[in-house]
Amino acid sequence: MKVVIEIFACLLAIITTVNAGGPTLVLLDNLAIKETHSIFFKILQDSGYNLSFKLADDANLLLSKYGEYLYNHLIIFAPTVEEFGGAMSVDAITDFIDGGGNVLVAASTYSGDALRDLASECGFEIDEEGASVIDHMNYDKTDTGYHTKIVADPTNLIDAPVIVGSKNIPPLLYHGTGLIADLENPLVLKLLTGSSSSYSYIPERPVKEYPHAVGKNTLLIAALQARNNARVLFSGSLYFFSDEAFTSPVKKAGDDKKHDKSGNKDVAEAMVRWVFKENGVIRVSFVHHHKEKESQPPAAYTIMDDVVYSINVEKLSGDNWVPFIVDDLQLEFVRIDPFIRTTMKHIANGRYEARFKIPDVYGVYQFKVDYTRIGLTHLYNTTQVSVRPLEHTQYERFIPSAYPYYVSAFSMMGGVFLFSIVYLHYKEDTKAKAD
Amino acid sequence: MQLNKATAAIAANPPSSGNKKISFFDKKPIVKQVKSSTLTNIAGLNSLITFTVLLLAWISGFASRLFAVIRFESIIHEFDPWFNYRATAYMVQHGFYNFLNWFDERAWYPLGRIVGGTVYPGLMITSGSIHYIFSSLNIPIHIRDICVFLAPIFSGLTAISTYYLTKELWSAGAGLFAACFIAIVPGYISRSVAGSYDNEGIAIFALQFTYYLWVKSVKSGSIFWASMTALSYFYMVSAWGGYVFIINLIPLHVFVLLIMNRFSQRLFTSYTTFYILGLLFSMQIPFVGFQPIRTSEHMAAGGVFCLLILIGTLKYLRTFLTKSEIKYFGGIVTGIAIILLTVLIGLTYAGFVAPWSGRFYSLWDTGYAKVHIPIIASVSEHQPTTWFSFFFDLHILVTTFPVGLWYCIKHINDERVFVVLYAISAVYFAGVMVRLMLTLTPVVCMLSGIAFSGLLELFLKEEDRDENSGLNASEEESEEEQEKSPGRALYDKAGKLRRMKHEKPKGNGDGLGSNVRNGVVFFILVLLMMFTVHCTWVTSNAYSSPSIVLASYSNDGGRAILDDFREAYYWLAQNTPTDARIMSWWDYGYQIAGMANRTTLVDNNTWNNSHIALVGKAMSSNESAAYEIMTSLDVDYVLVIFGGMIGYSGDDINKFLWMVRIAEGEHPQDIREGDYFTERGEFRIDSEGSPTLLNSLMYKLSYYRFGEVKIDYRSPYGYDRTRSAEIGNKHFQITYLEEAYTSEHWLVRIYRVKKPSEFNRPRIPISKRQIIRQTSSYISRKTARKKKGYIKKRPTVIKGQKLQKRIST
Repeated sequence: MKVVIEIFACLLAIITTVNAGGPTLVLLDNLAIKETHSIFFKILQDSGYNLSFKLADDANLLLSKYGEYLYNHLIIFAPTVEEFGGAMSVDAITDFIDGGGNVLVAASTYSGDALRDLASECGFEIDEEGASVIDHMNYDKTDTGYHTKIVADPTNLIDAPVIVGSKNIPPLLYHGTGLIADLENPLVLKLLTGSSSSYSYIPERPVKEYPHAVGKNTLLIAALQARNNARVLFSGSLYFFSDEAFTSPVKKAGDDKKHDKSGNKDVAEAMVRWVFKENGVIRVSFVHHHKEKESQPPAAYTIMDDVVYSINVEKLSGDNWVPFIVDDLQLEFVRIDPFIRTTMKHIANGRYEARFKIPDVYGVYQFKVDYTRIGLTHLYNTTQVSVRPLEHTQYERFIPSAYPYYVSAFSMMGGVFLFSIVYLHYKEDTKAKAD
Repeated sequence: MQLNKATAAIAANPPSSGNKKISFFDKKPIVKQVKSSTLTNIAGLNSLITFTVLLLAWISGFASRLFAVIRFESIIHEFDPWFNYRATAYMVQHGFYNFLNWFDERAWYPLGRIVGGTVYPGLMITSGSIHYIFSSLNIPIHIRDICVFLAPIFSGLTAISTYYLTKELWSAGAGLFAACFIAIVPGYISRSVAGSYDNEGIAIFALQFTYYLWVKSVKSGSIFWASMTALSYFYMVSAWGGYVFIINLIPLHVFVLLIMNRFSQRLFTSYTTFYILGLLFSMQIPFVGFQPIRTSEHMAAGGVFCLLILIGTLKYLRTFLTKSEIKYFGGIVTGIAIILLTVLIGLTYAGFVAPWSGRFYSLWDTGYAKVHIPIIASVSEHQPTTWFSFFFDLHILVTTFPVGLWYCIKHINDERVFVVLYAISAVYFAGVMVRLMLTLTPVVCMLSGIAFSGLLELFLKEEDRDENSGLNASEEESEEEQEKSPGRALYDKAGKLRRMKHEKPKGNGDGLGSNVRNGVVFFILVLLMMFTVHCTWVTSNAYSSPSIVLASYSNDGGRAILDDFREAYYWLAQNTPTDARIMSWWDYGYQIAGMANRTTLVDNNTWNNSHIALVGKAMSSNESAAYEIMTSLDVDYVLVIFGGMIGYSGDDINKFLWMVRIAEGEHPQDIREGDYFTERGEFRIDSEGSPTLLNSLMYKLSYYRFGEVKIDYRSPYGYDRTRSAEIGNKHFQITYLEEAYTSEHWLVRIYRVKKPSEFNRPRIPISKRQIIRQTSSYISRKTARKKKGYIKKRPTVIKGQKLQKRIST
């Protein structure tokens, strides 16, 4: 009985912590990976993820049932898979991403077609088969001689603490292939690049052709935050997440400094928290706009109105939404082009406010808050309002420049009146004279 | 009536005096008096006939405009009427002041439109007040029915005002002819069939009535009639932009009279009164505003006003100045005129007076619009008129109206100068633009009325004298003829005319035998009957289609109704969010707003060329470029009209070149008209068409999935009936849009524009990958039964090996 209650409590915990954690499918090349990467999986399980391990070629793989996704997240630690088993396929995974699911993928030197297709669906490419990232300047002293077990400097991490955590960590160990990002893809984030002396090539062969990736263009770890805020992380190295990489000491060849432990664990943990949306998730909770000195939004604004716009922004922290506080949240008042662009003031508790005067141009406008920062979900909110011209009663009634006309009109009336009197009397006079 | 006649008879005794009162009551001459004494109550008979003829003209004019209602239903036609109807319905619902301040955020997204300030409200107010009167009499009638039947009812009023105008100009008989002509002439019916709820429907009445009052005021020189003219002009200004025609024609009339040395106090009084009052009145219409004093179109009226006052002053000064001083004075007059002209030019340069608008230039140079403002040239009703359409719209009137014109020139007087100028200018304008055929039609009817009346007068007179037959027509004609002569005596200054008058019956009438006479009368009657038949035929076949409901006739005479437009608009109304923004070519803007009640980007009120050009650019660009424009304009749906399936020629592909031209006018670096033609300069949609055309958005939206369609067994797949060609780009996919709805006969096709978030992640297509796969791509081994995947280099587990040595790959 007690067990049942415990299970029930566990289930309840799972249901309540939908955002952090949740059912996660892990696809593996072989079940040994479960053991070689046990620390990584332990971290996930400890933070409430419910991992189901499957072989990538399992004939019963299923990502969705009756239109509902069975998992929130997907980890593919199966670099060499050529074809997924069961109902799983690259298309199924891209649908999963388009449906909002998050994916963590690790490739390796011998990556299979399935991963290559998946990568190019997300705007990356995995370097050709057999190619490894080689760095003759930054390799670990335990390297086998090809200089492929490289030591990545944490300064090459992307400048976004929300994704990779602190940069003040020991160097990272990396062994695997290089990634190439689509330069035209604005959504790709280069999480970890190679150093300027690195390149990606097949280590056994002499370099005859120009390598596909050279220097900082060699991506070690890259991510994509899709437009629906689904997150996909690609690592060129499965080794990066392994127990061995997490625990082994780092000593760069030609450098005396020795670190007892690599920084891989810290970075991997931060990245997985980001990719599974524990970090960097913000949302708009409340939008309100009204004229100054009023409280409710009008049916339509009039030009030159003073308007107050406020928006509440929240950030996900654990299971709770807490106020999100920054100082660079901007509001645009847009009619094709922005007519007003202003930084909003933070009032209290994640409530931002902007006050401005509507321009002297009528039309259909949008209050637009478009906050895009690396690592944060895309905050986009538009509210459409009409701005109408003045009504016929709202114009100024007596304008100074019209006074000459008023004067002339009234003087004309007076003149006619006087003239008619004079005329009448004058006529009598002439008659009298004629007589 | 009787009293008037009596006074006129006495007053008319002094011959050719310029007295106002006489000219006012000059209708019934002395001869008439004699006649009424012999024939009992001839005046009553006369007005009975007049009344009957006008009533019949009204009824037949009304009835012949009902083809559309009988064949289809009581529905608003075409494009502009839909807006007028929507505006009227809004006004009836919300009241006049809310209508005046109505800011329509659903039009011209995202610019919006101030409807109250950009519309001629006369039409709405007219039908709104009719509705108000009916509802206050507890007669429940839907505003739509009032709108549908407004133009036919006003055609009767037009006939009556034409009668009065012609009667002022010539005679009552000619007036009756003119009234009958205008009641059924196709040139006017084209704009006033039931359901064609447009400004022109009431504006022609206002035009004719203003001219009648103007002629009346010139004849009488009374302030009362001149004020009435100004009031009628005010109604015209509130109803139609064509009021510019009046405000230029009347000054032209005055100017020509001045040149002809026909200055009179009557002219002075009527014009000055009319001009000042008319100016003030016209500025009360919000849409007109300050235009009458700030645009070049209205400057002629002001100039003539100044000139008239100058000449008036001169005439006045002449009464007590010496001759030498007068000479000196002429120099001052010209000096002042030159100064005024230079001031005007200076103001134009300084920007206080707007120069001539493009629409105005296009009246003088027919090629102007095509080069500079394609948006004006693109409107079908702005095309130059063909000879065919003159005959089509006016039939025999086009041949007889020069006769009437000749009569008027022969017997010239102040008001006939007016009709001559009216005729000449209207003929010119009608030749420039099809639309202005409408202003020509009334004057053609009037002058033809004069011509027919003159002819019949000539050939029926003897008969009347000899046989004294009771024939209505002959009697009336003879009456008119007699009626007319004293009128002429009053107005015609040249002595020649009277001599001619005497000659006529001697020379012609006496010499004609009764056979010739009967033959000619018979011939005229046949002509008139043919005219009637033609009018009915044209009205029934050409002008009675609502154009939102189409009818097609099969070989066995059966009629099929194609109701695709309403079907599609109804779909929009039911299946899209209420704030959905719909992009279409501007022709369909009013209909979408009126029937589907959705936001449109551009509509038939083509006031913003650059916005239209943006839509044209989107339509003529390729898909990805168009998508950028569409997202920047927040477009949700795109609507195109496609006629290739049923052979409907007024579809968007046939209008496409205008879109390209208008887009090119604003974006010459992106769109070039030449790209849409083949090397030989042809506009082709088949496989030889230019690639730019075959990949444009409009082409793709029109022909999407059309390549899979086979219309009948003889034609190939994707055979376009309208352009009689097999389409050149058949199997294509569209990326940024998806088909949302296609109506029954494919006439209206609606596409949904995908949101940017639907392009979740930019992918790298295989063709653009940098890494070329070495091994030929993996071939799937999955089958329906065996669903196992494949992992290459699957490690075999070797027991006993230490974990440390395995390098994870």
